[in-house]
Amino acid sequence: MPQQLGTKRIQMRLTALLQRLISAPEFGPLILLVVEILVFTVRSPAFLSTSNISNLMAFTPELGMITLGMTLLMTAGEFDLSVGSVFGFAPIMMWTFYNTHAGPLEVGFLFAMGIAALIGFINGWMVTRLRIPSFLVTLGMQFVVRGTALYITDGFPQHTWTANSGLANLIVGQFSFGALRIYASLLWFIVFAVILGYVLTHSKAGNWIQAAGGNEYAARARGVRVTRTKILLFILTAVISAYAGVTSSIRVSAANPNSGTGYELEVIAMVVIGGTALTGGRGTIIGTIIGVLILRMMRNGIVLVGVPGLAYNIFIGAIILGMMALHSGLERRHRAGT
Amino acid sequence: MADELVRMERINKYFGHVQALNDVTLSVRKNEIVGLLGDNGAGKSTLIKILSGALRPDSGEIYMHGAKVKMRSTTDAIARGIETIYQDSALVVQLSIARNLFLGREPVKGLRLFDWLDQKKMNAAARQLLKKVGITKDIPPTTPISALSGGERQAVAIARAMHFESELIILDEPTNNLGVEETQGVLRFVRSARDSGHSCIFIAHNIYHVFQVVDRIVIMRRGKKVADDIDPKQTTIEGVERIITGM
Repeated sequence: MPQQLGTKRIQMRLTALLQRLISAPEFGPLILLVVEILVFTVRSPAFLSTSNISNLMAFTPELGMITLGMTLLMTAGEFDLSVGSVFGFAPIMMWTFYNTHAGPLEVGFLFAMGIAALIGFINGWMVTRLRIPSFLVTLGMQFVVRGTALYITDGFPQHTWTANSGLANLIVGQFSFGALRIYASLLWFIVFAVILGYVLTHSKAGNWIQAAGGNEYAARARGVRVTRTKILLFILTAVISAYAGVTSSIRVSAANPNSGTGYELEVIAMVVIGGTALTGGRGTIIGTIIGVLILRMMRNGIVLVGVPGLAYNIFIGAIILGMMALHSGLERRHRAGT
Repeated sequence: MADELVRMERINKYFGHVQALNDVTLSVRKNEIVGLLGDNGAGKSTLIKILSGALRPDSGEIYMHGAKVKMRSTTDAIARGIETIYQDSALVVQLSIARNLFLGREPVKGLRLFDWLDQKKMNAAARQLLKKVGITKDIPPTTPISALSGGERQAVAIARAMHFESELIILDEPTNNLGVEETQGVLRFVRSARDSGHSCIFIAHNIYHVFQVVDRIVIMRRGKKVADDIDPKQTTIEGVERIITGM
């Protein structure tokens, strides 16, 4: 008898665990990711080859870093359309600084990060102090930043001569595990993800971020510094986008004033696919990472299995619509209290 | 008066040319539940917003424990022990019960750099508080507010006010949109708040609810205070209604 009771308890525990897993916002995206990997692996043996994984892991961290900042910002109820332009602009600033012999590369790097922080601050200041919706503020900022990048460079890519630079190796140095080629940017992406994931779910700041996006007035009434929280998140998003841009410019050995075009929407799509609410209040770093992998693997795998590259966007759109339908269904169930 | 907690003295407030409050004086003693009544537009909400720091008066003073104070913001008022619970209780529905209870005053542990939220402590305190305000159902403190009923949400808001040792809890229409059972719950919390040493200002349209819990009734009409010391035990509801409408 007691043994039977024991197994019954374990069964109950398992069901409870399973229920919690299923009701987690990351569960739907995770299933999709697993299905995607399975389908691509079955249809194309090249998908899981080391060279393909190496390729996948070269660019993914760069876009992924932007999504991390964007996840926190969107949880606080705002978003940023200028991330793609900052991604292109920051390396231009850094390399122009260096190439004109204004100072060493390290100083140029800090200079670029400082300018990104200033861009983020202006975004945040206009959104919180002037109460202009972030859509409009960051749309305007996108044009200003991209325009500046094009003007400074006359539209030409900047030379990025990086031989023997310690900083460049630190940011995106290359090393190999057997046949697997890994860039340091992957490690930095993981470090940033762990830090920001911790901040969002386990820190006091995270509670403020969620409250600011969930019910700004209630948060303010409790003494939460909503304005400061949001401005800091705009700065974080701009700086991390700039860092991602610098990473990219070193890896491909070119700082193109047009790079990063269109990233803002892909990033926002990745974040919402992962389960972060577009309207704020709820966000998940784990979900975002899953969202990043879903879209990046889709882009990569669809070509491998022989679907015409131009049809890629059809699949991306379908995934976004399908995931939105799933999340809104879950949200309604959540509201109903079940 | 020695046991006076708050006194608002000769408060005036204009909205353009409209005088919303005309020389209103209101005092609340320790351990007292004051019912604030009046028709729509009588100035109850304006008066309460001034006391809770959401609005500033054009003239008049506020005293706490006999000393003059200035309420510049809602944070000011909360710091001085005045908690306001609005009808659409000011909770973040996406966050859990425990996270709402401690919002803005979260306990942290370990190194300051890590800013580590002490969720164990928050959950334990929340569990105890929920019991205290009469939620007997076993609701885990990690439940998001969105999964709670209207009455349970009010209970959480009241629990928050009680936990942070607020001296004065202002309830602005707390029983609106609530069911019979939930309303009884809220009224029970108000009584228990007084028993544990809190004062309350209770605003409601429903005179019956007010009669059930308050010690004293104050009535406002068109921005003026028209009655101050009505004892609900010695007055009829009809009598109070007559003063409210002025007929």
